[in-house]
Amino acid sequence: MLDAFSRAVVAADASTSTVSDINALKAFVASGNRRLDAVNAIASNASCMVSDAVAGMICENQGLIQAGGNCYPNRRMAACLRDAEIILRYVTYALLAGDASVLDDRCLNGLKETYAALGVPTTSTVRAVQIMKAQAAAHIKDTPSDARAGSKKRLMGSIVTEDRCASLVAEASSYFDRVISALS
Amino acid sequence: MKSVVTTVIAAADAAGRFPSTSDLESVQGSIQRAAARLEAAEKLGANLDRVAGEAYDACIKKYPYLNNPGEANSTDTFKAKCARDIKHYMRLIQYSLIVGGTGPLDEWGIAGQREVYRALSLPTAPYVEALSFARNRGCTPRDMSAQALTEYNALLDYAINSLS
Repeated sequence: MLDAFSRAVVAADASTSTVSDINALKAFVASGNRRLDAVNAIASNASCMVSDAVAGMICENQGLIQAGGNCYPNRRMAACLRDAEIILRYVTYALLAGDASVLDDRCLNGLKETYAALGVPTTSTVRAVQIMKAQAAAHIKDTPSDARAGSKKRLMGSIVTEDRCASLVAEASSYFDRVISALS
Repeated sequence: MKSVVTTVIAAADAAGRFPSTSDLESVQGSIQRAAARLEAAEKLGANLDRVAGEAYDACIKKYPYLNNPGEANSTDTFKAKCARDIKHYMRLIQYSLIVGGTGPLDEWGIAGQREVYRALSLPTAPYVEALSFARNRGCTPRDMSAQALTEYNALLDYAINSLS
């Protein structure tokens, strides 16, 4: 498993040179608290994000919870919720490390083959991941939608930065995209 | 590669939980110390050739017998290899400063070093002397800030201890 720092070291070691691009790492350190806030925003809302994503996926495809569907009976619905949480957890780890290696090695490696063997439909899984991607962006920006969240709206209340952590939103989205491309 | 962040993630993953507040606090602690580490890494990276060269000269000065025929520093090829070895150690120390842990030194320098030196009949005392020279050469504020020098010296001490 690598993080942003050890990734730079491994890259430099490949050419037996010293790490020269230290400014990029300094930028990582300078925005460290924002990153921790972003991780905290996802971790604190994780169970809500997971259940909403799976519920949204089922709303769009009711066949999943009818007899013969992949979220029927409860046992398989529970497995689905568990898997969504696992994927979100590894994305959170990757965001904390600033590097996708933990997500690749421990979650995505072989996931597509496992799902194919178990008969899990890829399109539905991808849809749930897409919903979590949108949710993660909203939580990192701390802008959950009034229309959808209604009375359950919950703000993290951390200090609002001028760009609403656009680079971290992009980084988190790239990890979700990695999951989607690994599955499809 | 072992660092504060990867250790925290590995522990959270083993327990199957999201990063907790205390996990995030450990990472924040590491990030707060990072400025000094990165300063030391930047200065060392910019002057690696000179630092390693001085350390090499110092160890040959202390152990001149190495220049005798058949010894480890006798031919131009051997000299180049000795200087390269010292430079490798300094480079790994720079990596460890970047990562914020001894991972690079452990994995790429120390693992197997005793066996290699025994197989090649190389003495370890000159390496110790070279690294000790670098350890005592650093000076604040001429070279880097006090905190940066502390981080740098701690890693040199770690490398010296691994050799002795």
